[in-house]
Amino acid sequence: MIITKENITNFIPHRAPFLMIDNLILANGERFESDFFIEENNVLVRSGYFEESGLIENIAQTCAAGFGYLDHGNGAEPKIGFIGAVTKLEVFELPLVLSKIETVVTPTHQLGNIFLVKGGNYCNGRKLLECEIKIVVT
Amino acid sequence: MNETFVTMGLGDIIEDTRDFLSEEFEVDRDLILPENSLKETLDLDSLDYVDLVVLIEENLNIKVTGEDFKEIETFGDFYALIQKKLSL
Repeated sequence: MIITKENITNFIPHRAPFLMIDNLILANGERFESDFFIEENNVLVRSGYFEESGLIENIAQTCAAGFGYLDHGNGAEPKIGFIGAVTKLEVFELPLVLSKIETVVTPTHQLGNIFLVKGGNYCNGRKLLECEIKIVVT
Repeated sequence: MNETFVTMGLGDIIEDTRDFLSEEFEVDRDLILPENSLKETLDLDSLDYVDLVVLIEENLNIKVTGEDFKEIETFGDFYALIQKKLSL
């Protein structure tokens, strides 16, 4: 684990109640990994399940934390990023509250300040959702 | 030289390129002409350029950068870049 839940807000601009990542487990140029425990009072929980939008946001925040960690290591301030587009979205199942999800993000392309990443969330090894996200970094 | 395209001439590659560009960006293939603007014909915004980079990599097995696009106005410029990248 390279960033714990207690320190994650030092690397990303997101704040409660819209914080959708706990720990950053791995971050290098090729891959970011995180985990997230879904509390009952999470704002993106409906009818006992964490919504699709939460899973997408979790992927985006994993990406933000990964880039934030790499920027920090290079002596740079973490940058603000925005979701430009979500494509190739597939939803397989939604996780129940009080479960922990693991997320893997792979940056695949960069064109100037736009990054294309592939992301997926898993719960107990089962794939929940996968998509591609274009992230525009300021 | 890229091995995939050793046996293909530039003309074949251009025709293939017109195919995948017209399909992906839903543009009439006949509008993809050397003298026409790449950006205007394909109606590209900044996010679309990322899709274009991915398409080029997947279909032609070459990598292009933001710097490469600074020199490109028309499809003719684009084909010249492909030619250069493939060392044809």
